[in-house]
Amino acid sequence: MSVPRGAIHAKWIVGKVIGTKMQKTAKVRVTRLVLDPYLLKFFNKRKTYFAHDPLQQCVVGDIVLLKALPERRSKHVKHELAEIVFKVGNVIDPITGKPCAGTRFLENLSDSENLTEADTTYLSEKLQELKVCSRDK
Amino acid sequence: MPMKGRFPVRRTLQYLSQGDVVFKSSVKVMTVNYNTAGELSEGARKFVFFNIPQIQYKNPWVQIMLFRNMTPSPFLRFYLDNGEQVLVDVENKTNKEITEHIKKILGKSKEMLEKEERERKKLSHPATFGPKKYHLRECMCEIEGQVPCPAVVPLPKEMRGKYKAAMKNEA
Repeated sequence: MSVPRGAIHAKWIVGKVIGTKMQKTAKVRVTRLVLDPYLLKFFNKRKTYFAHDPLQQCVVGDIVLLKALPERRSKHVKHELAEIVFKVGNVIDPITGKPCAGTRFLENLSDSENLTEADTTYLSEKLQELKVCSRDK
Repeated sequence: MPMKGRFPVRRTLQYLSQGDVVFKSSVKVMTVNYNTAGELSEGARKFVFFNIPQIQYKNPWVQIMLFRNMTPSPFLRFYLDNGEQVLVDVENKTNKEITEHIKKILGKSKEMLEKEERERKKLSHPATFGPKKYHLRECMCEIEGQVPCPAVVPLPKEMRGKYKAAMKNEA
Protein backbone atom coordinates (compact mmCIF):
# COMPACT_ATOMS: atom_id res chain seq x y z
CA MET A 1 0.00 0.00 0.00
CA SER A 2 2.25 2.78 -1.28
CA VAL A 3 0.74 6.24 -1.06
CA PRO A 4 1.62 8.21 -4.21
CA ARG A 5 4.03 10.91 -3.01
CA GLY A 6 5.45 13.91 -4.83
CA ALA A 7 8.67 13.77 -6.83
CA ILE A 8 11.91 13.93 -4.88
CA HIS A 9 13.10 17.54 -4.79
CA ALA A 10 16.88 17.23 -4.33
CA LYS A 11 18.29 15.57 -7.43
CA TRP A 12 21.99 15.77 -6.63
CA ILE A 13 23.38 16.54 -3.19
CA VAL A 14 26.79 16.48 -1.54
CA GLY A 15 27.09 15.54 2.10
CA LYS A 16 29.19 13.95 4.80
CA VAL A 17 28.57 10.40 5.98
CA ILE A 18 27.73 10.29 9.66
CA GLY A 19 26.58 6.72 10.12
CA THR A 20 26.98 3.34 8.48
CA LYS A 21 25.41 1.10 11.07
CA MET A 22 22.50 0.21 8.76
CA GLN A 23 22.95 -2.54 6.23
CA LYS A 24 23.62 -1.17 2.73
CA THR A 25 22.47 2.29 3.84
CA ALA A 26 24.51 5.35 4.72
CA LYS A 27 23.28 8.22 6.86
CA VAL A 28 24.45 11.44 5.20
CA ARG A 29 24.34 14.95 6.64
CA VAL A 30 23.80 17.67 4.06
CA THR A 31 24.36 21.34 4.88
CA ARG A 32 22.87 24.20 2.96
CA LEU A 33 23.40 27.94 3.48
CA VAL A 34 20.20 29.58 4.72
CA LEU A 35 19.79 33.34 5.11
CA ASP A 36 18.81 34.53 8.57
CA PRO A 37 16.06 37.13 7.89
CA TYR A 38 17.14 39.61 10.59
CA LEU A 39 20.95 39.32 10.55
CA LEU A 40 21.06 38.84 6.75
CA LYS A 41 23.87 36.36 7.20
CA PHE A 42 24.09 32.83 5.84
CA PHE A 43 24.27 29.96 8.29
CA ASN A 44 24.62 26.23 7.68
CA LYS A 45 21.41 24.32 8.13
CA ARG A 46 21.78 20.57 8.38
CA LYS A 47 19.51 17.83 7.18
CA THR A 48 20.09 14.10 7.23
CA TYR A 49 19.39 11.91 4.24
CA PHE A 50 19.57 8.15 3.95
CA ALA A 51 21.36 6.84 0.89
CA HIS A 52 21.47 3.36 -0.59
CA ASP A 53 25.01 2.01 -0.62
CA PRO A 54 24.91 -1.54 -2.01
CA LEU A 55 28.63 -2.29 -1.62
CA GLN A 56 28.86 -0.73 1.86
CA GLN A 57 31.96 1.16 0.82
CA CYS A 58 31.27 4.31 2.87
CA VAL A 59 33.11 5.03 6.09
CA VAL A 60 32.02 7.63 8.62
CA GLY A 61 33.55 10.96 7.56
CA ASP A 62 33.53 10.49 3.77
CA ILE A 63 32.25 13.29 1.57
CA VAL A 64 29.80 11.74 -0.89
CA LEU A 65 27.69 12.75 -3.85
CA LEU A 66 24.14 11.40 -3.75
CA LYS A 67 21.77 11.01 -6.67
CA ALA A 68 17.99 10.95 -6.27
CA LEU A 69 16.40 7.61 -7.11
CA PRO A 70 13.58 7.62 -9.69
CA GLU A 71 11.21 6.30 -7.01
CA ARG A 72 11.58 5.81 -3.25
CA ARG A 73 13.40 2.67 -2.24
CA SER A 74 11.76 2.65 1.17
CA LYS A 75 9.99 5.10 3.42
CA HIS A 76 13.16 7.12 4.16
CA VAL A 77 15.68 6.09 1.52
CA LYS A 78 15.21 8.30 -1.56
CA HIS A 79 18.81 8.64 -2.73
CA GLU A 80 21.67 6.40 -3.74
CA LEU A 81 25.41 6.80 -3.58
CA ALA A 82 26.70 8.25 -6.87
CA GLU A 83 30.36 8.67 -5.97
CA ILE A 84 32.65 9.23 -3.02
CA VAL A 85 34.12 12.70 -3.57
CA PHE A 86 36.71 12.62 -0.78
CA LYS A 87 37.54 9.44 1.09
CA VAL A 88 38.48 10.10 4.70
CA GLY A 89 42.22 9.69 5.24
CA ASN A 90 42.79 9.23 1.51
CA VAL A 91 42.01 12.58 -0.09
CA ILE A 92 43.13 12.86 -3.71
CA ASP A 93 43.73 16.37 -4.99
CA PRO A 94 41.68 16.53 -8.22
CA ILE A 95 43.95 19.09 -9.87
CA THR A 96 47.17 17.09 -9.63
CA GLY A 97 45.73 13.65 -8.94
CA LYS A 98 48.11 13.03 -6.05
CA PRO A 99 47.20 11.98 -2.53
CA CYS A 100 47.34 14.79 -0.01
CA ALA A 101 46.59 15.50 3.62
CA GLY A 102 45.59 18.97 4.73
CA THR A 103 47.70 21.53 2.91
CA ARG A 104 50.60 19.29 1.94
CA PHE A 105 51.07 16.50 -0.54
CA LEU A 106 51.87 13.07 0.83
CA GLU A 107 54.26 12.03 -1.92
CA ASN A 108 57.12 13.99 -3.38
CA LEU A 109 55.88 15.92 -6.40
CA SER A 110 59.25 16.37 -8.12
CA ASP A 111 60.58 13.36 -9.99
CA SER A 112 64.01 13.32 -8.29
CA GLU A 113 64.38 9.51 -8.04
CA ASN A 114 63.94 8.77 -11.75
CA LEU A 115 66.57 11.18 -13.08
CA THR A 116 69.04 9.80 -15.64
CA GLU A 117 72.77 10.71 -15.95
CA ALA A 118 72.05 13.24 -18.69
CA ASP A 119 69.40 14.93 -16.51
CA THR A 120 71.71 15.26 -13.50
CA THR A 121 74.58 16.73 -15.55
CA TYR A 122 72.20 19.16 -17.27
CA LEU A 123 70.77 20.30 -13.92
CA SER A 124 74.20 20.71 -12.31
CA GLU A 125 75.32 22.85 -15.28
CA LYS A 126 72.30 25.06 -14.81
CA LEU A 127 73.11 25.41 -11.12
CA GLN A 128 76.71 26.43 -11.97
CA GLU A 129 75.40 29.16 -14.25
CA LEU A 130 73.22 30.50 -11.43
CA LYS A 131 76.21 30.57 -9.07
CA VAL A 132 78.20 32.65 -11.60
CA CYS A 133 75.38 35.19 -11.89
CA SER A 134 75.14 35.69 -8.11
CA ARG A 135 78.95 36.24 -7.82
CA ASP A 136 78.81 38.98 -10.49
CA LYS A 137 76.31 40.87 -8.40
CA MET B 1 25.48 53.46 15.28
CA PRO B 2 27.61 51.28 12.91
CA MET B 3 26.79 47.65 12.05
CA LYS B 4 28.70 44.86 13.77
CA GLY B 5 31.38 42.82 12.03
CA ARG B 6 34.36 43.30 9.74
CA PHE B 7 32.62 44.21 6.47
CA PRO B 8 28.99 44.57 7.52
CA VAL B 9 28.08 45.84 4.05
CA ARG B 10 28.01 42.17 3.09
CA ARG B 11 24.94 41.83 5.25
CA THR B 12 22.83 44.41 3.44
CA LEU B 13 20.08 43.51 0.97
CA GLN B 14 21.44 46.02 -1.52
CA TYR B 15 24.85 44.32 -1.56
CA LEU B 16 23.31 40.85 -1.80
CA SER B 17 21.07 41.80 -4.71
CA GLN B 18 24.05 43.32 -6.54
CA GLY B 19 25.43 39.86 -7.26
CA ASP B 20 25.26 39.23 -10.99
CA VAL B 21 25.99 35.50 -11.12
CA VAL B 22 22.74 33.61 -11.73
CA PHE B 23 23.45 29.95 -12.47
CA LYS B 24 21.78 28.00 -15.22
CA SER B 25 19.07 25.66 -14.02
CA SER B 26 21.28 22.61 -14.56
CA VAL B 27 23.73 23.58 -11.77
CA LYS B 28 22.72 21.78 -8.58
CA VAL B 29 25.71 21.80 -6.22
CA MET B 30 28.71 24.09 -5.89
CA THR B 31 31.70 23.00 -3.80
CA VAL B 32 34.53 25.33 -2.84
CA ASN B 33 37.80 23.90 -1.53
CA TYR B 34 40.18 26.51 -0.18
CA ASN B 35 42.86 27.00 2.46
CA THR B 36 42.84 29.37 5.37
CA ALA B 37 46.52 30.28 4.92
CA GLY B 38 48.82 30.79 1.96
CA GLU B 39 49.15 33.21 -0.94
CA LEU B 40 47.65 30.82 -3.50
CA SER B 41 44.29 30.69 -1.75
CA GLU B 42 44.05 34.43 -1.19
CA GLY B 43 41.65 34.98 -4.09
CA ALA B 44 39.56 31.99 -3.06
CA ARG B 45 39.32 33.28 0.51
CA LYS B 46 38.17 36.70 -0.71
CA PHE B 47 35.70 34.98 -3.02
CA VAL B 48 34.21 33.01 -0.13
CA PHE B 49 34.11 36.06 2.11
CA PHE B 50 32.60 38.56 -0.35
CA ASN B 51 30.96 36.76 -3.25
CA ILE B 52 29.45 33.54 -1.88
CA PRO B 53 26.63 35.42 -0.04
CA GLN B 54 25.73 37.20 -3.27
CA ILE B 55 25.70 33.97 -5.24
CA GLN B 56 23.62 32.09 -2.67
CA TYR B 57 21.16 34.98 -2.48
CA LYS B 58 20.61 34.91 -6.22
CA ASN B 59 20.52 31.08 -6.41
CA PRO B 60 18.67 29.88 -3.32
CA TRP B 61 18.24 26.34 -4.67
CA VAL B 62 21.90 25.64 -5.37
CA GLN B 63 23.62 23.78 -2.54
CA ILE B 64 26.93 25.48 -1.68
CA MET B 65 29.46 23.59 0.43
CA LEU B 66 32.74 24.96 1.70
CA PHE B 67 35.72 22.74 2.53
CA ARG B 68 38.74 24.18 4.32
CA ASN B 69 42.30 22.83 4.32
CA MET B 70 41.54 19.54 2.64
CA THR B 71 43.83 19.84 -0.38
CA PRO B 72 46.87 22.04 -1.03
CA SER B 73 45.38 23.62 -4.13
CA PRO B 74 42.18 25.68 -4.07
CA PHE B 75 39.44 24.84 -6.56
CA LEU B 76 35.72 25.08 -7.25
CA ARG B 77 33.62 22.15 -8.37
CA PHE B 78 30.14 22.26 -9.87
CA TYR B 79 27.82 19.28 -10.11
CA LEU B 80 25.34 19.57 -12.95
CA ASP B 81 22.01 17.86 -13.44
CA ASN B 82 23.22 15.50 -16.16
CA GLY B 83 25.94 14.05 -13.94
CA GLU B 84 28.66 16.27 -15.37
CA GLN B 85 31.23 17.81 -13.02
CA VAL B 86 33.04 21.05 -13.77
CA LEU B 87 36.37 21.60 -12.03
CA VAL B 88 37.64 25.19 -11.81
CA ASP B 89 41.19 25.80 -10.58
CA VAL B 90 41.38 29.11 -8.71
CA GLU B 91 45.00 29.13 -7.66
CA ASN B 92 46.56 32.59 -7.99
CA LYS B 93 43.33 34.21 -9.16
CA THR B 94 41.64 37.23 -7.62
CA ASN B 95 38.06 36.94 -6.48
CA LYS B 96 36.90 39.20 -9.31
CA GLU B 97 38.50 36.91 -11.89
CA ILE B 98 36.84 33.89 -10.29
CA THR B 99 33.37 35.45 -10.44
CA GLU B 100 33.88 36.55 -14.05
CA HIS B 101 35.00 33.06 -15.01
CA ILE B 102 32.07 31.23 -13.44
CA LYS B 103 29.65 33.80 -14.81
CA LYS B 104 31.03 33.09 -18.27
CA ILE B 105 30.93 29.30 -18.03
CA LEU B 106 27.84 28.59 -15.94
CA GLY B 107 25.92 31.82 -15.54
CA LYS B 108 22.78 32.88 -17.32
CA SER B 109 23.52 35.49 -19.96
CA LYS B 110 22.19 39.03 -19.69
CA GLU B 111 19.67 38.48 -22.51
CA MET B 112 18.23 35.43 -20.77
CA LEU B 113 17.86 37.33 -17.49
CA GLU B 114 16.14 40.23 -19.22
CA LYS B 115 13.81 37.83 -21.05
CA GLU B 116 12.84 36.18 -17.75
CA GLU B 117 12.27 39.61 -16.21
CA ARG B 118 9.92 40.54 -19.04
CA GLU B 119 8.04 37.25 -18.72
CA ARG B 120 7.52 37.88 -15.02
CA LYS B 121 6.31 41.45 -15.72
CA LYS B 122 3.75 40.12 -18.21
CA LEU B 123 2.05 38.06 -15.51
CA SER B 124 1.10 41.05 -13.34
CA HIS B 125 -1.05 43.89 -14.67
CA PRO B 126 0.19 47.28 -13.44
CA ALA B 127 -3.17 49.05 -13.81
CA THR B 128 -5.13 47.00 -11.26
CA PHE B 129 -5.63 47.78 -7.57
CA GLY B 130 -5.49 45.41 -4.63
CA PRO B 131 -3.28 43.93 -1.86
CA LYS B 132 0.37 44.99 -2.02
CA LYS B 133 1.47 41.40 -2.59
CA TYR B 134 -0.23 41.15 -5.98
CA HIS B 135 -0.73 44.73 -7.19
CA LEU B 136 1.24 47.95 -7.35
CA ARG B 137 -1.28 50.18 -5.59
CA GLU B 138 -4.15 49.55 -3.21
CA CYS B 139 -6.51 52.44 -3.85
CA MET B 140 -7.02 55.29 -6.29
CA CYS B 141 -6.47 57.76 -3.46
CA GLU B 142 -2.73 56.93 -3.46
CA ILE B 143 -2.20 58.56 -6.88
CA GLU B 144 -1.33 62.26 -7.05
CA GLY B 145 -4.02 64.38 -8.64
CA GLN B 146 -6.87 62.07 -7.61
CA VAL B 147 -9.34 62.58 -4.79
CA PRO B 148 -7.38 62.13 -1.51
CA CYS B 149 -8.33 59.45 0.98
CA PRO B 150 -11.31 60.50 3.09
CA ALA B 151 -9.56 58.98 6.11
CA VAL B 152 -6.96 61.76 5.87
CA VAL B 153 -8.92 64.69 4.38
CA PRO B 154 -12.74 64.86 4.69
CA LEU B 155 -14.60 64.80 1.36
CA PRO B 156 -16.35 68.02 0.28
CA LYS B 157 -20.06 68.12 1.05
CA GLU B 158 -21.18 67.62 -2.56
CA MET B 159 -19.46 64.20 -2.78
CA ARG B 160 -20.86 62.77 0.43
CA GLY B 161 -23.76 60.33 0.11
CA LYS B 162 -25.54 61.92 3.11
CA TYR B 163 -25.71 65.34 1.38
CA LYS B 164 -26.66 63.89 -2.01
CA ALA B 165 -29.51 61.87 -0.45
CA ALA B 166 -30.75 64.96 1.44
CA MET B 167 -30.72 67.01 -1.81
CA LYS B 168 -32.65 64.28 -3.64
CA ASN B 169 -35.24 64.09 -0.87
CA GLU B 170 -35.66 67.85 -0.88
CA ALA B 171 -36.21 67.97 -4.66
